[in-house]
Amino acid sequence: MITFNLNGKKVQGEEGQYILQVAEKYGVNIPTLCHHKALDPAAMCRICTVELFDGRRRRYVTACNYPIWEGMEVFTDTETVHQGRKLIVELLLARCPEVPVIKELADQYGIEEPRFMKEEDDCILCGLCTRMCEKMGNNAISLTGRGVDMKVTTPFEVQSDMCMACGACASVCPTGHISLAKIRESMTTRDTKLIASEYDMGLQGRKPVYVPYAQAVPNTPAIDRDVCIHFKTDGCKVCTAFCGVDAIDHSMQDETIELNVGSIILTPGFQPFDPSSFDNYNYAQHPNVITAMEFERILSASGPTEGHLVRMSDHKEPKKIAWFQCVGSRDMNKCDHSYCSSVCCMYAIKEAVIAKEHAEYDLDCTIFYMDMRTHGKDFERFYNSARDEHGVRFLRSRVHTIDPVPGTEDLEVRYVTEQGDAETETFDMIVLSVGLETSPETIELAGKLGIELTEGNFVKTSSFTPVATSREGIFVSGAFQGPRDIPQAVVDSSAAAASVGEMLSPARNTQTKEKEVVPEINVVGDRPRIGVFVCRCGINIAGVVNVPDVRDYAAALPYVEYVNDNLYSCSQDTQESMADIIKSKNLNRVVVAACTPKTHEPLFQETLINAGLNKYLFEMANIRNQDSWVHKNNPDLATDKAKDLVRMAVSKVALMQPLEEAELNVNQTAMVIGGGISGMTAARSLSGQGYETHLVERDAMLGGQALNLFKTAKGEDVQKALAVLTDDIQQNDKIHVHLNTTLTGVEGFVGNFKTTLSSNGDDQTVEHGIAVIATGAAGLQPDEYNYGKDERILTSLELDRRFMDKDPSLKEMDSAVFIQCVGSRQPDRPYCSRVCCTHSIDNALELKKMNPDMNIYVLYRDIRTYGEREYLYKKAREAGVIFMQYSVEQKPMVELKKGKIIVRTVDHVLGRPVEIEADLVTLASAIVPNREEQLAQFFKVSLNEDGLFVEKHAKLGPSEFATDGVFLCGLAHYPKPIEESIAQGQAAASRAVTLLAQETVHTSGTVAKTNPGICSSCGVCVSVCPYSAPSFTEGGPFAGKAEINSVLCKGCGLCVSSCRSGAIHLQGFDNDQIFSQIFALNEAV
Amino acid sequence: MSDWEPKIVSFLCTWCSYGAADLAGVSRMEYPANIRVVRIPCTGRMSPKFALAALREGADGVWVSG
Repeated sequence: MITFNLNGKKVQGEEGQYILQVAEKYGVNIPTLCHHKALDPAAMCRICTVELFDGRRRRYVTACNYPIWEGMEVFTDTETVHQGRKLIVELLLARCPEVPVIKELADQYGIEEPRFMKEEDDCILCGLCTRMCEKMGNNAISLTGRGVDMKVTTPFEVQSDMCMACGACASVCPTGHISLAKIRESMTTRDTKLIASEYDMGLQGRKPVYVPYAQAVPNTPAIDRDVCIHFKTDGCKVCTAFCGVDAIDHSMQDETIELNVGSIILTPGFQPFDPSSFDNYNYAQHPNVITAMEFERILSASGPTEGHLVRMSDHKEPKKIAWFQCVGSRDMNKCDHSYCSSVCCMYAIKEAVIAKEHAEYDLDCTIFYMDMRTHGKDFERFYNSARDEHGVRFLRSRVHTIDPVPGTEDLEVRYVTEQGDAETETFDMIVLSVGLETSPETIELAGKLGIELTEGNFVKTSSFTPVATSREGIFVSGAFQGPRDIPQAVVDSSAAAASVGEMLSPARNTQTKEKEVVPEINVVGDRPRIGVFVCRCGINIAGVVNVPDVRDYAAALPYVEYVNDNLYSCSQDTQESMADIIKSKNLNRVVVAACTPKTHEPLFQETLINAGLNKYLFEMANIRNQDSWVHKNNPDLATDKAKDLVRMAVSKVALMQPLEEAELNVNQTAMVIGGGISGMTAARSLSGQGYETHLVERDAMLGGQALNLFKTAKGEDVQKALAVLTDDIQQNDKIHVHLNTTLTGVEGFVGNFKTTLSSNGDDQTVEHGIAVIATGAAGLQPDEYNYGKDERILTSLELDRRFMDKDPSLKEMDSAVFIQCVGSRQPDRPYCSRVCCTHSIDNALELKKMNPDMNIYVLYRDIRTYGEREYLYKKAREAGVIFMQYSVEQKPMVELKKGKIIVRTVDHVLGRPVEIEADLVTLASAIVPNREEQLAQFFKVSLNEDGLFVEKHAKLGPSEFATDGVFLCGLAHYPKPIEESIAQGQAAASRAVTLLAQETVHTSGTVAKTNPGICSSCGVCVSVCPYSAPSFTEGGPFAGKAEINSVLCKGCGLCVSSCRSGAIHLQGFDNDQIFSQIFALNEAV
Repeated sequence: MSDWEPKIVSFLCTWCSYGAADLAGVSRMEYPANIRVVRIPCTGRMSPKFALAALREGADGVWVSG
């Protein structure tokens, strides 16, 4: 260590350091223009000149390259130093009068106009670029010429490929003299494109060292070896100079890790279709023709335009946007993808609605489509509101060509309307709704694993084992299984987990390790002794917030016994030292001022536990995400804010009490309500994973709606598979089947349900830990189209029955009509029943197979053969099935006339009325849920307005309820085909096992507690709680008063705020604790 | 335009808005520093008393988001 004097203060530095480095450490600002942390100092700009007293005389040295020595005295801001710097700045200003950084400096030194002759240069000859180029392991540029002729240029001033176009020179140039444009025009002959950011779909660039996206887990930067200069020249390594903890190791090699696993689940996902090859859409040439994925980034607040809706060519706000559906889907001519990508209709509508919301003006959004496929839960409602409330235009038309409008950035499209008129329209921007496809890498992976793929390159599965690949032990979920949306992918993922769970259940818990428990110190009644740890987070916090200042400020706050600042509080060594400090300093409350509790609270709580403290004696002050990162240009204000946040945290933590997490045993028995195919699947999966299961069915036999079905869309025999499943269930001694049985009462909650089953007047009580609701739905009995008046007019299920009965009359018919959307997609039942299009087409093909000469007509509104079901639609058209579209305003008419059935409709192509004499009319009638209101009450779950059960989360929790311990599958959730019902049955079992496998559940400590002494028994808490946690105490001294089941309580505090008596406290967020934060503000606000 | 800046106290739901405020940081967005955040477990926890207390302590605006 070398000690010397800096501006009269004693400071210390390491041997070999320069004055500038030590000054920086002590927060003393010395201006410089040519210094860079990763480069050797060059003393080119001279502006860092300081005064040095060596004991005998004063002289002037450049701080950046003058090594420190023992006893020296340095003055960085004397009058002569100031005058010297001012002269340098004045000379620079004369040379570069228009350069912002110089103008700013001139301003600081009070120079309005230089006294010297002005030039028009913009290079200050700092040499950062040439030194950086050298550091890159290259010498593509250097300072040439002498004196006034000195300049930065390439050898012989020629453009060559010697310059690797890495852009390092431009990135360090303080004046803008070197830019990417200049590199492109005068330095390199190589490509100077930005490194496309994968996350932003190439709409903007990224660095070779990068975090793939803001929410990436782990949120650690990676080095892209393909573009990092170090891996090309062996030079650079600039990043290492900036990493405070030496975490960067360029010598790391790829490792091959061998894992011994019992099963594999494939979830490689999809890649969006690349429409570059469609020259008629001009995607590759025109910046305003973009893909939907690119548009997602434009709409995103974290995207290249920060969510501001502009087009890429000129950053103008678009007035008219068009979406083109089915780009890369349902198309054999150009892309070989004859399947439907399933998700594009819905995402296009969503994008159009969000675009309209983002635009603060009247934005015209038009969607060009073939069939609008909104077959998901609540999707049809969204479609209707997009059209009727948001004013999104829907045009059924396939646009052939996009032409740029000459002289503008606009795009012209020509299309033919449904009425047959040719139209020309101009749009500011066109979004191509690109489909999903399996990447070549994934296809290769499938080849390596030896699993079979479909013609669309998705994994081949059976409808009855929807997540099993052709190879035993390998499962699939997500878009590799077929194009699908988030809820379906989530269902399938859970189903895959259940499939693996069934296979590997004997191995469960065989490789777990017990954790050592540190005994908890009782701090109740002790005076708070608070430790405050302020994190620098490298430069993430310390680069903006004055961390020492915050730390010293915290030391003066009440009850604070210890303060410290850490470079990275979350690093393992810091965690260990924090635990030691807590123990040695006898701390009983801890505040960490660092990042966000949402990511790091559990980590620090673990540290408290390791130090023997209750984990709730902790509070975080968010001085990174909500301070240094968002106020980086206001370091003083950010520091003030950090102090406030620390003060708020300290006053809150002082009031924190140790909280208990109750432990509760989970009854290891499951109950499945509904013996249809999804309920049976759930029961089989649960029993297969080792749990006793009660399967309750109200009818006399198992099977549910599957009993009425002939074949799956893949042509598999439903009855055969159903018989196998039913047999499995009946043979299984872990499954207790209760037929002709209904539920008449349910008590208890997660882990401990007590259900009364009634069968023919006999009651039986069953205790179980979880419940799966699989109560199904039924086919609508239509009251239109003369249904019921003639046996030749029947529903799809009735036609299936005739197929199963091998009805010979079917073969004899000359003409059959299918009418779609009977009872679906209309005001009184606005949802799409999802299965009927495929079902009718499948049945039409079956009839064609029996009698190829039969005339078959399908009257539809939109054909919704999503995913690879689209092949059936194609096959049906090829087989001569005639598809005629109708609108809900003009439904077909079915008349009975002299023993004949006459179907009248309007031909959508000709616009003329058509009359069909039919021998068979099949009504694709809606799937109607059973509206299980009592069951919903029993399990405290809810039904939506359609009578379908409401899942926990439409996207992320489709197979479970918000109420803990209750799960959902099958038609009771939403109409779906067999394969999806089976997958959801497995999914519900999988979700249930996550609970059952724990054997005990721990409640959170931050739950509500009542004070029965002041409870007025008003019942508001009981009625407001979405989780059914409060109830009235039965019996005892507080009978009739509210109590809260801490197992069910999610700690939201709704009851606390609603309690008119102030009888409920939310532990960890109690009134006094929140008030203490507010009161701590008074110095702040 | 006066240079008066209101002092804002915000009560953010930990599940959504508090997370969004974190994400604003992760995305390096910038906003004025005259805001102080109190994290609450859900906007259901919000009580009028908290808003009044903040105003009494000198806040010019109270923002509840969740």
